[in-house]
Amino acid sequence: MTPNMFFLLASILFSIGLVGLVSRKNLFVLYMSIELMLSSVSLILATLSKVLGEASGSVMALLMIGVIASEAAVFLAMIINLYRANRTVDSDTFNKLREGVYND
Amino acid sequence: MIVGSFAMISNRQTVFSAFGFLVAMIGLAGIFALLNSQFLAIAQIMVSVGAVVVFSMLTILTVNAKEENLPHEPNKTKWILFTSLLVAPFTLLLYKVLATLPNEFVQLETINSKIMGKVLFSEWVLPFEILSILLLSAMVGAIVIARKSKRKERRRS
Amino acid sequence: MINWIVLLPFLSSLFMAIVYLGNTKVKRYAFYTAVGVGTPLAMTIMSLMLAIEVINGSGTIHGTLIQWIHIGDFDISIAFMADRLSVVMISFITFIGTLIHIYAAGYMKDDEGYGKFFVYFNLFMGSMLLLVLADNPIIMFVGWELVGLCSYLLIGFYHKDPANIKAANKAFMLNRVGDFGFIMGISLLFVSFGGGGFTFEAIADNISIVSPEMLTLIGLLLFVGAMGKSAQIPLYVWLPDAMAGPTPVSALIHAATMVTAGVYMVARYSFIYVEIPDVGLFIASIGAASALFAAIIACYQSDIKKILAYSTMSQLGYMFMAVGLGAYSSGIFHVFTHAFFKALLFMGAGAVIVALHHEQNIFKMGGLKKPLKLVYITMFIATLAISGIPPFAGFFSKDAILVTAFASEHYVIWGIGTLTAGLTAFYMFRMLFTVFHSPAKEEQHVQIVPKSMTWPLVILAFGSATAGFLGVNAAYGGSAWINHFLALPDLELHLSHATEYMLGGLNVILGLLGMGLAYKLFAQNAKEPEEDSLWRRLVINKFYIDEIYEFLIVKPLLLLSYFIAKVIDPKIFDGFINLNVWIYRTSAMLFAKLQNGKVRYYALYILVSVSAISYYMLVKLGVM
Repeated sequence: MTPNMFFLLASILFSIGLVGLVSRKNLFVLYMSIELMLSSVSLILATLSKVLGEASGSVMALLMIGVIASEAAVFLAMIINLYRANRTVDSDTFNKLREGVYND
Repeated sequence: MIVGSFAMISNRQTVFSAFGFLVAMIGLAGIFALLNSQFLAIAQIMVSVGAVVVFSMLTILTVNAKEENLPHEPNKTKWILFTSLLVAPFTLLLYKVLATLPNEFVQLETINSKIMGKVLFSEWVLPFEILSILLLSAMVGAIVIARKSKRKERRRS
Repeated sequence: MINWIVLLPFLSSLFMAIVYLGNTKVKRYAFYTAVGVGTPLAMTIMSLMLAIEVINGSGTIHGTLIQWIHIGDFDISIAFMADRLSVVMISFITFIGTLIHIYAAGYMKDDEGYGKFFVYFNLFMGSMLLLVLADNPIIMFVGWELVGLCSYLLIGFYHKDPANIKAANKAFMLNRVGDFGFIMGISLLFVSFGGGGFTFEAIADNISIVSPEMLTLIGLLLFVGAMGKSAQIPLYVWLPDAMAGPTPVSALIHAATMVTAGVYMVARYSFIYVEIPDVGLFIASIGAASALFAAIIACYQSDIKKILAYSTMSQLGYMFMAVGLGAYSSGIFHVFTHAFFKALLFMGAGAVIVALHHEQNIFKMGGLKKPLKLVYITMFIATLAISGIPPFAGFFSKDAILVTAFASEHYVIWGIGTLTAGLTAFYMFRMLFTVFHSPAKEEQHVQIVPKSMTWPLVILAFGSATAGFLGVNAAYGGSAWINHFLALPDLELHLSHATEYMLGGLNVILGLLGMGLAYKLFAQNAKEPEEDSLWRRLVINKFYIDEIYEFLIVKPLLLLSYFIAKVIDPKIFDGFINLNVWIYRTSAMLFAKLQNGKVRYYALYILVSVSAISYYMLVKLGVM
C-alpha cells in the first residue's frame, strides 16, 4: 500500500482523461474526461496529505470537490444552451475560431 | 476504477459513458477510504455521485438524442490509440516526478472530520469562503445561461 | 598646347552635338560647316607648330591633362607625348583630315543629318589624335576603342537602310575580336611590369625585365588587335562592307587614318618587336598574304569603292611587311604617302559617284575624261603614285619596303610583294581606264561637282606627287631624311647601289606592264567580268570567305543564343523560380488546414508538444 501505487493510479487516470478529452467529439464525454482529470488531482492531494502527515492536502481535496460541483453546473448549462442553438452535441461543429477559408 | 474510466471514454453512447463515469467516481471514493480519509470519501460520494445522477438525468431527458443524432466519430479507435501513445511519455514523467517523494506513509491514523474541520476553519478559511461564493455564482450563472436562450428565441420569433 | 590638340575636337563635337540635338530638323549649314571644318583647320595649324618645335630639336614634348587613376604605385594619367613618330603622324592626319572635312562639306550638303555627320567626324579626329599622342598604352587603347566606335557610327550613317547597319555592326564586331587580343596583350605587359610607371618611355627603358617568351606572346596579342583594326587576314571582312558609309568617311577613316592605326601601333611598340624577330616575320607574312589576296580580288571587282577598299587592304599589307621585317620607318613612310594618294582616290571616286547620281558600278560609267577633267587628272596622278611609278610618292615608299625584304633575304616575301605591285598597277589602271576612257554605254547626265570637292583633290595631288621626296633613299641621291628623323630601331641593311637600282627598275617595269595590260583590255571596251570559269567565280565572290565565316561562326553563335533564350531561360531559370513559388504555396495551404477551428485539435497540438517535451526529459535528461 505504498504511496507510489496511488501515484501510479492517479497518473493513469489523468492520462485516460486526457485521451478522452482529445479523442472524443461528444460533449458529454468531453465533460466527463475533465472531471476525471480533476478527480485524479484530488487523489494525489489526498495521498500527499497522508505522506506528509498534514491535513492540508485533504482539505484541498475537499475544496476541489466543491469546485467540481460548481463547474458541473456551469458546464451542463452551457451544453444545454449549445444544444438549443445547434441541435447537436458534436464539438466539431463549433469551428468559428477558424479564419477565413483559404482553399478547402 | 480504471475499467470504469476506460469504459467511459470509449463508449459510443452517452449513457453508457455516464455509467462508466459513475463507476469511476465510486471507485475513487473507495480509494479515499483506503487512505483513511473518511470524510473525504463520504463527501466524494455525495458530491460526485450526486452530480453524476443529475448528469444522467440531464442527458437522457434534455438532449434526448436518438441513435442517429449522436456525433459521428469515424476514427475513434485510431484517435484513442494515437493519443494514448502521445500521452504515455507524459504519464511516465508525471509518475517519476511524483515518485521522488518519500515512499512511505508517515501516519496511518484516520483523518476524520474533527481534524479536517480544525484545519479547514483555521488555515483554510479564506479559500472556504471563496469556494462558497464560487458555488453561488456558478449556480446563478448556470440558471442565467440556461434561461437566456429562451429570451433570444422569443426575440427571434 | 599639346593638350588642346586633343581636347579641341572633342569639345567642338560636344558643342555641335548639343546644338544638333536641340533641334535635329533645322539646317544650320553655315554653323556646322564653320565649326566642323574650322576645328580641324585649327588642329592642323597647331600640329604643324608642334612639328616644327620637335624638328628643331626640342626633344619630346609632354603634356598631362589630368591624373586618372592613382592607387599606390599604380598611376595612370591622361597624358600626351609628342615625339618624332607622333608628330609625323599628326601632321598628315590633321592636314588630310582638314581637306577631307572641306570635301565633306560639299559632299554631304543635301543630307539631312549634316550636323550629326560633323559631330561624328570631329569626334573621330579627336579619338585618332588621342590614339597617336597617347603617352601610355592605356590611353592609346582608349583612343583605339573610340576610333572603332566612330567607325561604327559613321559606317552606319545612312541608317535607314538596314544593310548599312549590318555593315557597321560587322565592322565593330570584328574590331572587337581584335581588341580582345589587344587588351590581353596590354594586360600581360602591365602585369609583367608590376604597375609602376606605365608610360611608353618607361616601358621602353625597362623592357629587359620581361622574358622573351612573354614578349613573344605580348607581341602576338597586340598584333591580333592590329589585324582587326587594319583589316588584315583573317579579320578583314569588314572593310569592303564598310564602303556602305559616305565617301568622305571611307576616305578619312578607311584609307588614311584609322586603318593605319595598326601599323602605328607596331611602330610605337617597336622596342618590343625588335626583340622578337620571329613574331615580326609572322606579321610580315600576314601582310604579304593579305596584300596578294586583296590584289587578286580587286582585279575582278565592279564597284568603284570596293576596288579601292581592297586596294587599301593590299597597301596595308605592304606596311605590315615593312614593320614586320624591322623597317619601321619605311612602314610609317608608306603610311604617310599612302594617306595622300588613297584619300585622293577616294575623294575622286566620290566626285565621280556624285556626278553620276550615285552610280557606283564602274562598268556603267565611261568616257568621263572630258566632263570631269580635273577629277581625271588628279586621279591619274594618284594612280601613278600607287602603282609605284617614279617620281611620284608611291615609288619611294614601296621601293623602300621591297628593298628591305630582299636585303634581309626573305625572298618569298619579296616575291609576293613585287608580284602584288604589278597587280596593283593593273587593277588601279583598269579602274581608271574603265571609268574615264572607255566609251559610255548609255547617255549620261553628268552633274556638276561642287568646288569644295574638287579643290582638295588638287592639293592632295600635289602632295602625292611630292611627298615621296621626304624619304628618298641614299641610292637615289637623297638622304633618307624621314628615316633619320624618325629614329626608330630600324634594321641595318647593306645593299649595293647596283642591286637597289635593279630592284627599283624591276618595280617600274612591272608597273608599266600592268598599266599597259590594263590599257589594252579596258581602255577601248570595258566589259564587266562574268562568272564563267571556276577561277572567276571564286575570285568574283571574294573566295567565299564571308560565307565561310557566316557558316562557321555566325550561325553556331546564333543557334546558341536561340537555344539559351528559348530553352534554358524559360525552363531552367523561370522553372526554378516557379518551383519555389509552388513549394511555398503548397506548404501554406497545408498549414492552413491545421487551423480548422476545432478546439479538440488545438488540444491535440498542445498534447503533441507536451509529449515531445516529456519524451525529451525522460530519455535525454536521464530522468528515466
